Amino acid sequence: AVEDLFTTLNRHIQRSEYEQAVKVAEQVLSIVSNDEDAIRCKIVALIKADSIDEALSTIESSRRLPIDFSFFKAYCFYRQNKLNEALASLEGQEGSSAAMLLQSQILFRLGKLDASLDIYQKLQKSKIESLEINLIAGLLSAGRASE
Amino acid sequence: NPIVLDLAYNTIDFPSLENRM
Ligand SMILES: [K+]
Repeated sequence: AVEDLFTTLNRHIQRSEYEQAVKVAEQVLSIVSNDEDAIRCKIVALIKADSIDEALSTIESSRRLPIDFSFFKAYCFYRQNKLNEALASLEGQEGSSAAMLLQSQILFRLGKLDASLDIYQKLQKSKIESLEINLIAGLLSAGRASE
Repeated sequence: NPIVLDLAYNTIDFPSLENRM
């Protein structure tokens, strides 16, 4: 039953067994083809297994579903160094701190250091772990070490 | 170049399956 598959899937996730998690998510999807939890688990597990191409093709084949995977898509493009595609996928999500973090990392790679730093400075209130590491890296790269 | 951490990766997480098991 689907409940048993989700129990197995959850166990793989807890054990960081991402390739097995993908397989079990696919088993769920073979029974309930549009199950949002299973699709999300499959995409996240593919990302965590470093199977970025497969994560993107899964997102692509879920396009017709009313589920917003644009953050995952942006992240996958970022990992493939397709930075303009990544930024485009983030459009409209500017409010979320996850999207802001990713946007800042993309801008850093594009060499848009001041824009990248502006976002980190906005995020400082949000108490994100290790944020100051990227903030300092940005300040050093931008020649703003005195700040 | 200073190291930039992939903090966006840390925000990517599985949905809760609590009600599905
Ligand atoms: K969609």
